[in-house]
Order: sequence, then structure tokens, then C-alpha cells
Amino acid sequence: MLKHVKHYISVGAYSLRMSFARQLEYPSFLICWVIGNPLNYMMGVWMIGVITQRFQALNGWTYPQIAFLYGISLLSHSLSVLLFIQTWGIERMVIRGSFDRFLVRPVGVFFQFCIDYINLIGFTDMIPGVIIFVYGSSVVNFEWTFFNTIKILLVLVGATLIRGATYTILGSVAFWTKSSRSLISMVHALFERTTYYPLSIYPTVIQVIFTFLLPFGFISFYPACEFLGQDSGFDFPLEFALWTPVVGVILEIIAVSIFNRGLKKYESAGS
Amino acid sequence: MTVILAYLYIAKTKILSSLVYRFDVFSTLITNFIMVFALSFFWKVAYQGVGSVDGVDEKQMITYTIISTLLSAAFVFDVENTINQRIREGDIALDFIKPVNVFGIYLAQDIGSIASSVMLKAVPLFIVSALFIALPLPASAMGLLLFLFSCILSYMILWLLSAIVGLTSFWIVELGPLGHVKNALVGTISGSFIPVWFFPEGIRKVLELLPFVYIYQLPLGIYIGKSNFLDSIKGITIQFVWVCLLFAIFYVLQKKARNRVFVQGG
Repeated sequence: MLKHVKHYISVGAYSLRMSFARQLEYPSFLICWVIGNPLNYMMGVWMIGVITQRFQALNGWTYPQIAFLYGISLLSHSLSVLLFIQTWGIERMVIRGSFDRFLVRPVGVFFQFCIDYINLIGFTDMIPGVIIFVYGSSVVNFEWTFFNTIKILLVLVGATLIRGATYTILGSVAFWTKSSRSLISMVHALFERTTYYPLSIYPTVIQVIFTFLLPFGFISFYPACEFLGQDSGFDFPLEFALWTPVVGVILEIIAVSIFNRGLKKYESAGS
Repeated sequence: MTVILAYLYIAKTKILSSLVYRFDVFSTLITNFIMVFALSFFWKVAYQGVGSVDGVDEKQMITYTIISTLLSAAFVFDVENTINQRIREGDIALDFIKPVNVFGIYLAQDIGSIASSVMLKAVPLFIVSALFIALPLPASAMGLLLFLFSCILSYMILWLLSAIVGLTSFWIVELGPLGHVKNALVGTISGSFIPVWFFPEGIRKVLELLPFVYIYQLPLGIYIGKSNFLDSIKGITIQFVWVCLLFAIFYVLQKKARNRVFVQGG
């Protein structure tokens, strides 16, 4: 078992090094991302600030509180595009038969698939993510006690897994239909609209959907509610911050099994 | 005449090719509807108990949001990706020796895509939004006319900006997607999401000196009746000036780019 784990770690390390080397061949390719992505998100959160100033707090959520929620959401977004971006391209890989090389190697396919490309562009989302989160947590006077720190870390892991697993599940649709890119953009739009603002601005039906059917509320809304003492509208038997990693792990297990099932349908490139 | 027929043919093939992907049509409709739906709730919550801000009320703002999403669904500007891809694969040289203007081809392709986007994306989105959110009516018949005219200029600004960004890849291929920076700017300071008139005075003044607000905010402001007749005409004039200015930049750049290709080609 230990030997097995060691083997995976060493393969992973090599793969990572290769992935970085490949992307850093032209380091200047990152320049436009380094400008564009932070600009996009900093403006995004600033504009919400403008609206809360010109109008009012959004359903009882003040700007600092929204910044805190936005920060958690953006950090988990950046981690998920860092680790799971390949899932956006399953469609192309299925059509081109790119899974062939993974299938002939004696290591798990999903593991190889994830480790094959660590997306450096994810870091350009992490810059505004860190800035907004640090700003948000300081203006809401977030207490960095030992337990709170652990909870935040668990929330980030869980939220990243929820996003990553959702991308994996939708990307895997391509194994059956040969096309999944447009589903990914659809869920991307959903993430944008449900995790950067409090879910409670929507009607209750929508909130129920994004709690039980598509558990995106656990990415940032429920954890933020708990940390900030905001009313979430739902009572759960456990603290929300603990639900997020649980939901994340369950979704990830479902995602991997769907991915593996899809892989059985994979028939390499035609001709 | 034959040249125009050639462009029409290019536009037609583009329309036909986008009709093939029916599944994409459906999922794009849902994606766009999610956007409109979520944003209209955002405004509803912001306007709770507030009559109007800067002379714009909730109903107008929801109309603004619906029409803004319709516009961005309809506006196609693949020109920048096309130039980029043609350069990377070396096909640009072949495009230059065709008997029609290469940028005319790209524009015809984009206009063809717009025609299909209007049919497949904008019209269904309009119907769905009208049924489930609100009927986004223009403030007046005159407003609608001016809006349509202003939209044409908006699109020209957007297309020229994209073409200029695309042309820069003749020189700075290795810089990565400059278009990404442009899209981030269009997404944030063009008023496509939140109108610039809500921004603090100083920032608003600076942003009004840039072409971006003339892409979305101006036609949308005309549509919902935020700007009166005189302001609308003034805005449209500024749009026209931007189109001329951007066209001049585009013209110089494409001349230079052409020479560069010939040098490389030997």
C-alpha cells in the first residue's frame, strides 16, 4: 500500500514538473492573464460595492460581508481552475483520442488526467482572490482563531471539490455525446451567479435547488452565513462549514465514478 | 457587384454552419437566460423600497439587463480569434492573395454569425425573458429607432477593437491573449452589466472618455429612455467619431501587417 502511494507521488511529481516546464516555455504568455483576470474580478466586486452604496445592502448583506463571501468563492474558483481545468477539454480529448496514452500506462487514468496539466492561469485568479478575501475578512473583523482557520481551510477544500466535481461530471458527458463544452459554460454561468452574491437574493425555490439538487450554496453562501452570523433561511443539524467538505467529498466520489464509467464508453479516435 | 456577392456567399455559409449545432443553441439559450434571470433579481433586491436612482427605476433597469444580454448574445466578433489562428497556422498569407479583401471576408463571416445568432439566440431569449421576467419594451418609437442605429455603430466599435487586437498578434504573438484584457474591459466598464452612470463622478468622467461605454451603455440608455433626444444624438455622434478613429488605427495597422507578411514570406 505504502509502496503504491509512493509510486503515485513520484509519478505525480514528475508530471507536475513537466506541466510547469511546458507552460513556462513562453513565460510571457501569462502577462495578459495577469492583467485581465485580476481586473475582471476586482472590478466585479467593486461594482457590487458601488451598488450597495448607491442603493442599499443586498437583502441585509453589507458590502464588507459580500466581499468576504466573494473572496471565499473566488479563492475556490482559482483552486478549481488550477487543478481541474482539463475537465473543460474532455470533449476535445475524446474526439482526438487523447486518452489513449493514459490508458496504456499502469497508473489510474483519473489521476493521470488530473495531474497532467496544472493550469498556471489559475494563479492569476488567485491574486484577486487573496486580495479580496484578505480585505473582506479584515473589514468584517473575522477572528483568526485556530478553529476558524481550520474551518476556512476545510471550506476552501470542500468548495474547490464541489466546483471540480461538477466540472468533471459535466465534462464526462462528452464520453457519451462527444460534446460537453457548452454544458461547462452553462455551469460556469451558474457558478458566477450563485456563489458571488448571497443566494438569499433569489426566491426560496431557487435556493432550495442550489442547496439540494445542485449544492452550489455550500461553496460560499452557507459557510459565509455561518462565519458572519447571517440568516441563511435554512436550519441544518450540523455547522455549515462542516457540510461543505462533506458535500465536496461525496460529489467528488460520484464524479470519479461517472468519469470511470464514461471511460468504458471511450472508443479512441475514429478511422 | 461580384465582390459583394462573394461576401454575401461567405456570410451565408457561416449562417448554415452555425445551424448545425442544435444542442449548443439550446444550452446557450439556457446560459443566457440564467444570466438575465439572476441579474434581474439582483436589481429587484437593490431597488427594494427605492423609487429611482439617477432617474432610472427598477422596471427600466430590468429592461436594460434583458436588452444588454440580447445584445451580447447577438454581437459576434470572431475576427480577433480568426486572425490569431490564421497567423499561427500560416494561412494568413493565403488569405491575402484572395481576390477579395481579407478583412472584408472576416467581417462578412462575423455578420453571417450575427444573423444566425439573432435568429437562434437573441429571438428565443427575448421570448423567454418576456414570458418569465418582463416584456422589455423601448421607452418610445423614436428611442427604438435611435437604438437600432446606435447598435450598428456599437457593433462597429466592438468589431474594430477586436480587429485591432487581432492585428497586434502580427507583432506580439508571445504576449498571450490581449483579447482577454479587452474582453475584461468590455465586460466591466462598458455598462454591459452595471451602467457607468451609477459609478462615482470622477471615475465616470474618465470612463466616458474611453470607447467602451459607447458599446453597451449608450444604445441601452437610449432604449430605456434614460437619455433624451438631444443627448442620444450627441452620443451617437461621439460613437461615429470613435468608429472613424478606430478605423484609422485599424487601417494603418493592417497596412503595416500586410508588409510584414510579405517580408516574412520572402
